[in-house]
Amino acid sequence: MASAELPVRKVRGQPGRVLLIASALAFLGLFLLMPLLAVFTEALAKGIAAYLKAISDPMAWAAIKLTLLVAAIAVPFNLVFGVAAAWAIAKFEFRGKSTLITLIDLPFAVSPVIAGLIFILLFGSHGWFGGYLREHHIKVVFAVPGIVLATIFVTFPFIARELIPVMQAQGKDDEETALSLGATGWQTFWRVTLPNIKWGLLYGVLLCNARAMGEFGAVSVVSGHIRGLTNTMPLHVEILYNEYNYTAAFAVASLLALLALVTLAGKSFLEWRQPELRRAGSHARDRMVREKT
Amino acid sequence: MSIALRGIGKQFGEFAAVGNIDLDVPTGALIALLGPSGCGKTTLLRIIAGLETPDEGQVLFDGRDATSWPIRDRNVGFVFQHYALFRHMSVFDNVAFGLRVKPRRERPSAADIRKKVQSLLELVQLGWAGDRFPAQLSGGQRQRVALARALAVGPDVLLLDEPFGALDSQVRHELRRWLRRLHDELHFTSIFVTHDQQEAIEVADTIVVLNRGRIEQFGVPSEVYDLPTSAFVHRFLGQVNELPVRVSGGRAFVGPIDISASTDVSATAPKSIALVRPHEIEIGAEESGWPAVVVAVRVIGPIVRLELCAEGQPAHEPLEAEISRERFQYVGYSVGQKVGLRFRRWQVYPANGAAA
Repeated sequence: MASAELPVRKVRGQPGRVLLIASALAFLGLFLLMPLLAVFTEALAKGIAAYLKAISDPMAWAAIKLTLLVAAIAVPFNLVFGVAAAWAIAKFEFRGKSTLITLIDLPFAVSPVIAGLIFILLFGSHGWFGGYLREHHIKVVFAVPGIVLATIFVTFPFIARELIPVMQAQGKDDEETALSLGATGWQTFWRVTLPNIKWGLLYGVLLCNARAMGEFGAVSVVSGHIRGLTNTMPLHVEILYNEYNYTAAFAVASLLALLALVTLAGKSFLEWRQPELRRAGSHARDRMVREKT
Repeated sequence: MSIALRGIGKQFGEFAAVGNIDLDVPTGALIALLGPSGCGKTTLLRIIAGLETPDEGQVLFDGRDATSWPIRDRNVGFVFQHYALFRHMSVFDNVAFGLRVKPRRERPSAADIRKKVQSLLELVQLGWAGDRFPAQLSGGQRQRVALARALAVGPDVLLLDEPFGALDSQVRHELRRWLRRLHDELHFTSIFVTHDQQEAIEVADTIVVLNRGRIEQFGVPSEVYDLPTSAFVHRFLGQVNELPVRVSGGRAFVGPIDISASTDVSATAPKSIALVRPHEIEIGAEESGWPAVVVAVRVIGPIVRLELCAEGQPAHEPLEAEISRERFQYVGYSVGQKVGLRFRRWQVYPANGAAA
């Protein structure tokens, strides 16, 4: 009976499938592709000369440099702590593990604006450590350290979240084997664990970097919007936009969008260059499926 | 290297994985830890390897207390059920791993490593596969790579956690024989975990039967098979027929069969059971024993399994008897035929399990 019903279902399923695919594509086009195109169209609306002038403006340059600096500090920081946290969660049993997982998710759950306000509360002139910092002439809030702190906070979950499922799926067998073969913990990490997680790690780093460069809310609260000093690219875009300087605003915005496109292209390129590793990845999935059955 | 366990216990939260384990493994022995899943056999193996720390008790290597030694100082080779090959490395690099991570002054030269790895790959009959990646090999080949990798560092002890569990039966059979030969050639001490009694009997010198975290019985395979000390071991090491024992007038009976001869009748509790293996049932003419009817005949290669409904036994619990193919061809039982049963051997246990 089941085999007699099968073709009928298939024929009936066809229009539904087309409809689903079409609506998914329409959705992607409307909400992802069109805005992207709009950014570049607006940026180049007054010609290439105006575009180049907008992005070579000293204030724009300062914003670009600051954004790169913040990402260059926040991403490695989260790389180290994300790997450490994922390692601890995936490979060990300890008290407070579920609390740690919840804490890692906290930046996702909290609005970035609140995240910014937390740092004002801690390090602002009326904050908990405000007096101490003033006495020692250390500026955190409305300065680069505050922007870095806020960015680290907001982007913390990206790498850890990406790695935890990968490491959990891989289990501990490989590491235990390496140790039994006489490897030190350090050798085990560099030679066994890291190669096993490198694609997850790379993906986490790309996402973390994209967010670190693009973060607006938290950075906006702690930055103070001092042009040329504490303005990151997203903040600079907003200022330009509020001054009705649309071309310049979209020009800087297009740089951010370009960064995103480059990271995505880079990821695809790396995957394409390493077919062998893709196969190994599917083997790992096979193994997982087999272990479950 | 000899291994001794003294009073080993390990809890996982509320669950006592193993408790009060004493075990002596002499140098060069090949021992099977046998038991159903959850009996603590893998935990015990991991404690010996140093992958788990026991809550109580001691692990002795050649008489020295190794309980707190980290795994890398124990010089044990550990083989996992799912091979745990490093999938980003070629087969050659996998086998070479243990040699390459040695401290510089102990590390062999690159040429020596190449020679050693190649000879190990020849040993596991994979001399051609050095450049392959694990994903390109079959399950049996992968497990042989895992064995070669474990042997590369010259371990004193080889520990195998269900090494053939993920393989199909043909490959499993070959690898068992191969492991046995390898062990006899290389003379290390081996301990392997299995839930397959056939595998334990085929491969091991000594079988340790575990149940609920405790050792039920310890001995050479034939002894454990023929003289089980508990109903659990008796059941676990092969097929059994379970029959109620009736005591009357100072004699013990199973059905109409008087089993008093080899049974301590005075110690037989009222709710005892007799365990009889299928090949211990003798089938004869109807009047020669316990009357029964043949309800099914199944030819399984060299043996023939008969299902027999004995008089007074519930019809949905037929007895199983096994006879040789030759005998079957000579006598020729058919479904519906009336026969008489006798027992060659049996063992009586109280209903709660310990030996009578």
